[in-house]
Amino acid sequence: MVSRRGFLRSGGLALLGVGLMGGIPGFLAEAAANEQIISPYKKRKTLICIFQRGAMDGLMAVTPFTDDYLKAARPTLFMSAAKTNNASPLIDLDGRFGLHPSMKAFEPMFREKRLGIVHGIGSPNNTRSHFDAQDYMESGTPFNKGTSSGWLNRAVGLLGHDTLTPFTAVSMTSAMPRSFYGDNPSVSISNLQDFAIQMRGNPMGANMAAKSFEDLYDKTSSTLLKQTGKESFEAMKMLQKTNIKNYTPANNAVYPNSALGNSLKQIAQLVKMDVGLEVAFAESNGWDTHFNQGTENGIFARNVADLSNSIMALWTDLDAYQDDMTVMTMTEFGRTVHQNGTGGTDHGRASCNFILGNSINGGIVHGNMKPLAIENLEDGRDLAVSTDFRSVFSEVADKHLGINNDRILFPDWKGERIGVMRV
Amino acid sequence: MPSAFVKNNKKYFFSAVLLVAGAVALSSFFEDNQNIRQAKFPYKQQGLTEKQAAAHLLSRFTYGATPGEIDAVVKTGLENWFNQQLDAKLPDDSLNLLLANFDALKLSNTQIVNQYPKNAQVLRMAISAGVVNKDSVKTDRKAYRDLLLGYMQQNGMKPEQELYRQFISQKILRAAYTNNQLQEVMTSFWFNHFNVSITKNDCAQFIPDYERDVIRPNALGKFSDILLATAKSPAMLYYLDNFTSSAANDDNGANKNALRRRLMQNMAAQNADTGRAAILMNKVQKAKKAQGLNENYAREVMELHTLGVDGGYTQQDVTQAAKVLTGWTIYPMGQYGKAVKSIADKIGNDGLQSRGFVRDSDFLFNPNRHDKTEKVVLGKHFGPDGGYEEGVQLLSMLAHNQATAKFITRKIAVRFVNDNPPQSLLDKMVKTFIIKDGDIKQVLYTMVSSPEFWSASAVREKTKSPFELAIGSVRSLNANVTQPYQLFNWINKMGEKIYYYQAPTGFPDKGQYWINTGALLNRMNFGLALTTGRIPGVKVDLAALNNHHEPESAQAALPVYSKLIMPERKLDETTKRLTPLLTDPNLVQKVDEASSDKLYARVNEPASMSMTSADKAIADSKLDSKQNKKNNVTAMQTTSGSNSMLGQVVGVIIGSPEYQRR
Repeated sequence: MVSRRGFLRSGGLALLGVGLMGGIPGFLAEAAANEQIISPYKKRKTLICIFQRGAMDGLMAVTPFTDDYLKAARPTLFMSAAKTNNASPLIDLDGRFGLHPSMKAFEPMFREKRLGIVHGIGSPNNTRSHFDAQDYMESGTPFNKGTSSGWLNRAVGLLGHDTLTPFTAVSMTSAMPRSFYGDNPSVSISNLQDFAIQMRGNPMGANMAAKSFEDLYDKTSSTLLKQTGKESFEAMKMLQKTNIKNYTPANNAVYPNSALGNSLKQIAQLVKMDVGLEVAFAESNGWDTHFNQGTENGIFARNVADLSNSIMALWTDLDAYQDDMTVMTMTEFGRTVHQNGTGGTDHGRASCNFILGNSINGGIVHGNMKPLAIENLEDGRDLAVSTDFRSVFSEVADKHLGINNDRILFPDWKGERIGVMRV
Repeated sequence: MPSAFVKNNKKYFFSAVLLVAGAVALSSFFEDNQNIRQAKFPYKQQGLTEKQAAAHLLSRFTYGATPGEIDAVVKTGLENWFNQQLDAKLPDDSLNLLLANFDALKLSNTQIVNQYPKNAQVLRMAISAGVVNKDSVKTDRKAYRDLLLGYMQQNGMKPEQELYRQFISQKILRAAYTNNQLQEVMTSFWFNHFNVSITKNDCAQFIPDYERDVIRPNALGKFSDILLATAKSPAMLYYLDNFTSSAANDDNGANKNALRRRLMQNMAAQNADTGRAAILMNKVQKAKKAQGLNENYAREVMELHTLGVDGGYTQQDVTQAAKVLTGWTIYPMGQYGKAVKSIADKIGNDGLQSRGFVRDSDFLFNPNRHDKTEKVVLGKHFGPDGGYEEGVQLLSMLAHNQATAKFITRKIAVRFVNDNPPQSLLDKMVKTFIIKDGDIKQVLYTMVSSPEFWSASAVREKTKSPFELAIGSVRSLNANVTQPYQLFNWINKMGEKIYYYQAPTGFPDKGQYWINTGALLNRMNFGLALTTGRIPGVKVDLAALNNHHEPESAQAALPVYSKLIMPERKLDETTKRLTPLLTDPNLVQKVDEASSDKLYARVNEPASMSMTSADKAIADSKLDSKQNKKNNVTAMQTTSGSNSMLGQVVGVIIGSPEYQRR
């Protein structure tokens, strides 16, 4: 694999980049030229992953509402799809599964077959530790702690072309997530406005400092510092051209004023700036609902409302780019079938996830979830894992990003795919 | 086996072979090596002056030279200075005074578990004490938080987060101000090598003790000692799950199966009597928790701590090693290990010992969980029924394997020489590692007395990590840090959230990992923020740095301060590049007009609300000193003059490419 810097040093298309394109940063010009030569008619695809940290109760998000066992196990948490006077019922998806009413924003997408759901998804490793399960899911190796890279970082390495822009892989988090650990270039940043030389209250000083830095980095003898410095300033100038702070989403999309809403809004901005974004990552927190998770109102309802409204704001905002976007959620495990003594649920096994995109095999609750009879539960208490998360991640990476090297992406996995994407 | 090695001394070769075979240390046979630590450093042959050599030495074995430190090292003598650092016995009175304000730092694990309980634990206790109604939990955030805080105060408990704030603040102060710099650098090195992470909730509380009692005292000792100490520490036992690992076919397993059968029968017969089913399921879960082999630690101790991934072990070795280490767990404390606690309460520690338990501080070997069959790891037999000693022998065998010598010495050379250390150097270090029984002091001395350490391919070739950049700047500028946690936020922003690296590999130690677009801009911003007074609780007196000789202009300031901050380096290029930008006749005025009001307001800003109590105590104690007060006043006065311009110039120097190297 040719590294980014290797490519730049080798000078391949450097001639095209310099001078000709005026205000366009050099690396973008190079990237554009490179694209034209390697794959002239191929548009860039973007995979947006959202990690729901804390383990989402998949049985409440997408409830098998005809299941009497579940009803008995959750005396105060079970929700029905039947219409009553004082409560909002579940949204009946297919006669068996009901979507939580606070996710009503998802319903049209499901009906239009652009939203797919996988139920019973999880890890073959039965740990119920958040840390371990997230670690395994993000490294993509459920039985190996020592894997140094994350699966999304490996995906970047498998894109089939050099990563010529600093924005190929962006995580909207303050620290690098485990999924992004590794040797392929990736950036973690919680706020795009930080991508600048900053001196509060002193723009002139900041300008001067920026110019000084740019000149110093341009002349340093260290190739690493010189090259990264160049990219940094180009990226900075490019972002400065856009008014990030006073961004107006398209199509009257309204992002929730939440951490996730903010992250997705910034991802949308990057997509529209056409800076070469291919793998994006964001986080959603607060899913560890041991206490009073609520039903149609409460913590869980607020969480799923935020999740679905944020995703749908992104989707609406990116109306013109939808063919190139896939959004996928993931969570480390699910929660107990039985509610606990404090109105919540404890750590379980399988959960569900959502995949949104125009080439999704949507309108279906995928997976092979069995009725919740005692003999079907894992350890006598949890929704069993019937679909390995790697099956779904691998299929999405393949069909959306053209990555079909499971030996590198998920080295220990040799399973079957379940058809979440249309061929 | 490198050929030079064999040619040099056959005796060494044979000792290596014997050690590989698991023989005990033979270092006492080699008294001629006592003089390893007397060798002269060969820097002159590599074209370095004594001052340049001192600068290089300081760039590798400290967090950065303080003003005047290069001259001091030359005066002490380079070899003497290095030996002092290896012995790590210099007094640290002023640092200890600063650290005295952090009350959590001296607590034992048991005290921490009781005084800084985990948030979830507090909640459970508050519910069972009837302070918080379980039905109101999380429905009203503010009210419920207040209730919890009140409950904690009444019971002498403090928020868990406060513990980590104190611990991290401690690390920053120590790195910035300790006289035993090498010990602290090696503490960071070994912590990263034997990484544990605050992100893993189960082990987080034990991390302050881990660094204090497990890593730091062994940082310049023998490798086998630090390996054993980490293996027995609660932090590592939790981080890599060995605390839970037990023989797969013990009584618990049988219990679990019986419980499960009963559960099935019940469910079938009573058609989901949920209350009763829940009770049974809890029992199943508890039985399950206490049962089964966990290979995580056994795998990583070979792959990451000793042999290295290509160290010649198999999956079979991993499984067998995991069996050897079954029963290695922690002594009960707080909510941990309740089952053993009830036994211990009944029969006492003596009773435990007579039943084959081994207790060493927070560590416990529990023979009931130990796999008593015979095991074979890397060809060596363990047991049957060898108890605690099996694990000790296993770790000793791993520590003395030649693959380990290669793996560890290479990692040390990468840390201190360059990202791709030459084989000739590695051979020498491996040899010392083997004949000196993994004595880290001797290995380090061997490295520094090798010409490779002083070569052009080593000098200034390492890239500072964000932590090294931040602490190095504090040292370069003699900064006064009263709110260390503010620096942690910057270090995190630049890409190194210390103590939070999730994977057991630790942070990668190479320039390419640290230098990426987002991180690089943050490094520059850090430099500017630090020198223009925008990091609360971190004060820099630039005038004092130059003995209160104020440079006449920004142009004049540039070479003066470049030299002060980066002594013994060729800086022509840096100053040449920056000078044209500073020659605008109205520049100073412009910048000052644009900045001085706001900057002044910021410098005078009262202590941030987010200060920890310990931070406040430090800040207060410093303000008490009259001399400091006077200095503060002087600094303010220069601020309204050209100091903002000066700050900006120095900020650019800190953010410059040259300063990112060491």
